[in-house]
Amino acid sequence: MRAIYWQNLMHSESVTMDVPHKRHGKWKFALAALAALWAQNADAHHSFAKFNMAKLTTLTGTVREFTWANPHTWLIVVVRKADGSTEQWSLVGSSPNMMARWGWNAGDIKSGDKIVVDVHPGLDGRPIGSIQNVFLAKGKVLVDPAGSNGQALAGGPVKVPTKPQGQPYK
Amino acid sequence: MSPNRVHRQLRTGALVALSALALAAPAARADDAPAVARTPEQQAAAWQEIARQPDFWQGTWQSINPIADDFSTPPDYTPFARDYIAKYKPAEDSPFTNCKPLGMPFVQNIGGMPMKFFQSPGMIALYIETSGMTRFIHTDGRQHSEMPNPSYLGESIGHWEGGTLVVDTTGLAPDTVFQIGRLTNDVRVQGDHSPLAGVVFGPHGPNLRLVERMRLLDFNTLEIQTTIYDDTIFKSPYALPPRKFIRGIERRNEPQEWACTDNRDYLDPDTGKLEVNVKDKAQDR
Repeated sequence: MRAIYWQNLMHSESVTMDVPHKRHGKWKFALAALAALWAQNADAHHSFAKFNMAKLTTLTGTVREFTWANPHTWLIVVVRKADGSTEQWSLVGSSPNMMARWGWNAGDIKSGDKIVVDVHPGLDGRPIGSIQNVFLAKGKVLVDPAGSNGQALAGGPVKVPTKPQGQPYK
Repeated sequence: MSPNRVHRQLRTGALVALSALALAAPAARADDAPAVARTPEQQAAAWQEIARQPDFWQGTWQSINPIADDFSTPPDYTPFARDYIAKYKPAEDSPFTNCKPLGMPFVQNIGGMPMKFFQSPGMIALYIETSGMTRFIHTDGRQHSEMPNPSYLGESIGHWEGGTLVVDTTGLAPDTVFQIGRLTNDVRVQGDHSPLAGVVFGPHGPNLRLVERMRLLDFNTLEIQTTIYDDTIFKSPYALPPRKFIRGIERRNEPQEWACTDNRDYLDPDTGKLEVNVKDKAQDR
């Protein structure tokens, strides 16, 4: 909680970005995000109401914020589009404990880092997504355990991709 | 240290212990003072008894079953339960959004993160990481309290039947998350592949009682079979199919803390006011 508070302060003081402040649709998004946690023991790659789990999109951008928090982590990435404009993507990961078991560390991703992320994008066209793979500039690849079964959660990621798996977002 | 000195220290220690007992004795009530192994010999015997039990203790246990029970064997429902299920509209929300404690029995269904058993003479503890809660299972031979105060995990008493730990739980809070059934495929919302699709959460009666039978199938597999006693919902006790858990002994499977509330409410830095539930606030910044 404290971490989020500080991030808020930091951003309100030092980051200026042209981001619309919408105030609706929060609840639905939160529920979809929680579904990602609940789905752990379901078959891998089920679909959620909010995300297109059949689709993988590759975002290339700059990290604005990485929040290591329960019940879910958050990754906010600013993507520069082909037309030169920027777009902010809000991405949800699974929970810190599960991610730590799959090799993630809270310090892996910092504001300002260049990053490539495979995401399951929102179905409604908004720039939201559920994290699948993260490719760090230093070469480390992290796989999000959301949707994995109990054996995989205890056993660690089976397949770690060496390169992005999604359609590049332009 | 010379043998004499050791002896002297032991004697002094014994005297101190005796004085402490003498002081404590008048305050102790018979019903509040369970038998405790006090002497080294009693303690050795108590731990040796533990050592003879099946090894639930090393490593952690990760659920490998789906979160929801599918109630494929139709329960013998009470008229109240039938009516409740007939009128049940699956909510978009779930009873445990916003980090509400799950409680027994659903808390052990969630999986994703493992559970860990600990034991000392007279008590088994079970830490459930997905909820950050710990069950305390009394194995000192006590009976249930006449009126246990309601709690999310209830009052649990365990005993061994051969290699099976039988745990009897009562005293569950009215709002503990309780699955009473599952809608059949034909009445479920189509296209919803969430593991909670069609789950019917409902109320339970004040006398809800759970009997769990926990046993090792082999070193790597723990099985827990739960039978639900609640005559407000089930006319006869309902035996759920067994759930399986696999043992993790690697470092990554060690237990971790789980503080679900850290992303729940927050102080708005602009107004200084407490804002409720913004798991998704990142979305709108």
